[in-house]
Amino acid sequence: MASVQAVAGDAPRSSSPRGASSANRADKIFHGLCFTAAMTLMAALVGLIISLLVGGWPALSHFGFSFFTSSTWDPVTDTYGAAGPIVGTLVTAFIAMALALPLAIGIAVFLVEFCPARIAHSVGIAVELLAGIPSIVYGMWGLFVLAPWFAAHVQTPLMLALDPDSFWGKVFAGVPNGTNIFTASLVLAIMVLPFIATVFRELLLSIPPYLREAAYGMGCTPFEVVRGVMLPYIRKSAIGAVMLGLGRALGETMAVTFIIGNSHAFPHSLFDSGSTIASTIANEFAEANGDLHISALVALGLVLFMITFTVLAAARLLLGRETA
Amino acid sequence: MSFNSSHADQTKVMIAPPEADQVLSVKGLDFFYGKNQALFGVDLPVARNKVTALIGPSGCGKSTLLRTLNRIYDLYPGQRAEGEIRFEGEDILAERDITRLRARIGMVFQRPTPFPMSIYDNIAFGVRLYKTVSKAEMDVIVERSLTRSALWDEVKDKLHTSGLGLSGGQQQRLCVARGIAVEPEILLLDEPASALDPLSTAKLETALVELKSSLTIVIVTHNLQQAARISDYTGFMLLGKMMEFRSSSDAFVKPETEAMRDYVTGRYG
Amino acid sequence: MSRHSRRILMNYVFVGLASLATLVAVAALVMILASLVSKGLGGFNLGVFTQDQPGGGGDLGTGGLRNAIVGSLILCGVGMVLSVVIGLLAGTWLAEYGDGNRLASLVRFLNDVLLSAPSILIGLFAYQMFVVPFHTGSALAGAAALAILTIPTVTRTTEDILRLQSSQLREAGMALGAGKGLVIRSIIWKASRTGLMTGALLGFARMSGETAPLIFTTAGNQFFSMDVTHSIASLPIVIFNFALSADENWQRLAWAASLLIAVAVLSANIIGRHLAARGSQHK
Repeated sequence: MASVQAVAGDAPRSSSPRGASSANRADKIFHGLCFTAAMTLMAALVGLIISLLVGGWPALSHFGFSFFTSSTWDPVTDTYGAAGPIVGTLVTAFIAMALALPLAIGIAVFLVEFCPARIAHSVGIAVELLAGIPSIVYGMWGLFVLAPWFAAHVQTPLMLALDPDSFWGKVFAGVPNGTNIFTASLVLAIMVLPFIATVFRELLLSIPPYLREAAYGMGCTPFEVVRGVMLPYIRKSAIGAVMLGLGRALGETMAVTFIIGNSHAFPHSLFDSGSTIASTIANEFAEANGDLHISALVALGLVLFMITFTVLAAARLLLGRETA
Repeated sequence: MSFNSSHADQTKVMIAPPEADQVLSVKGLDFFYGKNQALFGVDLPVARNKVTALIGPSGCGKSTLLRTLNRIYDLYPGQRAEGEIRFEGEDILAERDITRLRARIGMVFQRPTPFPMSIYDNIAFGVRLYKTVSKAEMDVIVERSLTRSALWDEVKDKLHTSGLGLSGGQQQRLCVARGIAVEPEILLLDEPASALDPLSTAKLETALVELKSSLTIVIVTHNLQQAARISDYTGFMLLGKMMEFRSSSDAFVKPETEAMRDYVTGRYG
Repeated sequence: MSRHSRRILMNYVFVGLASLATLVAVAALVMILASLVSKGLGGFNLGVFTQDQPGGGGDLGTGGLRNAIVGSLILCGVGMVLSVVIGLLAGTWLAEYGDGNRLASLVRFLNDVLLSAPSILIGLFAYQMFVVPFHTGSALAGAAALAILTIPTVTRTTEDILRLQSSQLREAGMALGAGKGLVIRSIIWKASRTGLMTGALLGFARMSGETAPLIFTTAGNQFFSMDVTHSIASLPIVIFNFALSADENWQRLAWAASLLIAVAVLSANIIGRHLAARGSQHK
């Protein structure tokens, strides 16, 4: 014990911590590193916007407003009008959301209100796994499995049954190979579905229990509780989630490229080939020759960025930072 | 309920230990959270090698006062203190090198906060900030700290297991050991036993009473009996003011102010 | 029908629809995984791991994915190093130094935008930053593109995890006199280890499946190569090139590659989820 006390009493009381200034410097360096990393992040986004502007400017200034309205996209004559891809992007995204949203709400509500607890956990995991499958796998599946099936079991019977000049005949006209706007939207819907379902589920789970209990206590059926109390409660965040899903659908490349048919013209029917901005850039960039061609593709990218940025910024404002 | 805010307007009573015995002295301290004032002209004399307890109902400012003493409030912009805190001749509030200050004034928090490392490393962490010691010397320091905080016997065979694996009471004593390993002159404790069961509390209190022979202790506590048990001086606070400060034996037997009398007898809390 | 029984009926219809929706989702997952496994595994042979990309028109069963596998590993490896370093530091800055700071709010907002930005745009950006100045695609450019894609994810999860640590833990470190940087590195990072690893794994899961950024930066290489200053092969690019061809052998390899990627991504997801669950048990 005596030796213990001798050691302990040795510490000079008034000495400053060893290496105080070097410790301070280490702190400052660390702070600086963190700051630099954060600034790199910011620089990346700012650089992205600038590079899109700079790269796309030649095409935009060359074609002016007709870039957005003309659907002539012809590398041979170096004429580029983006109406086809723009319309394709918007149409596929909206159809996908229209298909996915009701399903996603149904899944979320089922998992939260009706599903027995034991399987809710596994089903929840299944949904999240679906969200994790890379988009190129969806593309493969869409091209090799969905498209042939669709051509054989949906398109062909419809074409045989309908008069080509009738209204519905025109809506469903198209080459029966299964690669068209509608099947692309279908694949996109399956891609976006698990994401929206997961977000909705988390939102529903975050509702304070006493609200549910109050509604049930009044004798409401589960349907009425969901419709009357739970969904309205999450309305604002739900809209944000929908916009987040829309943002993803708009920008998706690989799931769509394989199955959309890649025609730049304005799609004339639901089962017609089309293209999206992302699929056009992906397909043509490698073999693009001519500065104007490349600039037109970058200009397309700029358009896509503006669309998705608007949607995502709106989603962020509505959602705050609640969900990933 | 017999609390009324006129309690706080009564004349204060301050019977301080002699200046020569004071290791730290707070004079006229005001504290602000943004625009809200939380402390109003507080005086606090802290006697060397004694236990000083701060008591009072929730929201009275006792934790706020404690946290000015080691300038831990500096972490949060918008919180500021004005007044004077004299520590061994220097004004803490004007001190630039807070790191040095915190070597001399340590703190134990309400919830046990073991670092995510082994018991040994928890204690060595602070020591390594200030000295380079050999492994043998560090072993000695670790053992001594753990002994003084009444934890050595329970952990001596598992020094290299994680600190998170201890019970709540043990974790808190580990935090005490960690704090005293750097040999501070004053140890501040903010309701250290509020999350502990009676047995752990008793062990902690025993350790604190023995520690006062080598350092000074200031403890904030909600538990009046605890204050009466272990403290030499008690300061009673209400609504940000120091209402009564006397030796504990006097304060609990016959409180001078009506505010403290009512609090101690449980008429409000 | 009485009002009451109509309400009950509505409820049953609703429950039925919701269950149907869930079945559709589960069925879709099962279908996709089933195709993936049957077509992918069906085309597997040992050559997939030992041989490089075959030329077109080869016999069924020849050639393999060796160069693409190695290429993907290199790309993801370098990409992960970049993303984890920058993402961890940036997330730490946001969590520890960025409170009440308008610059921090801006960075956070931009980070969230970049997080959901279409990956093809990031590919375009990487092309202009890392390919054009050097007149050649390269694995480094590809890794940089992947990193730009993944950094926002890592930054976001890092910030969220660090914020979960109690302020008392930080105060305890600083009360001993440790500097802020030391408290962060030795205490806060250590305490968040599990969450940080989960974030990295999720970032990896995202990264390994991405194709678009690679199209513009490292568009493929038929031959085995570990030269990072030029284009190298990668699994997603192989799929992209082979799937749309009419070559049956190529299509077989595209499926095999899809299976490999899916396995990597799903494993990373599952491990990450498992870690997160175990981490939260500790509290």
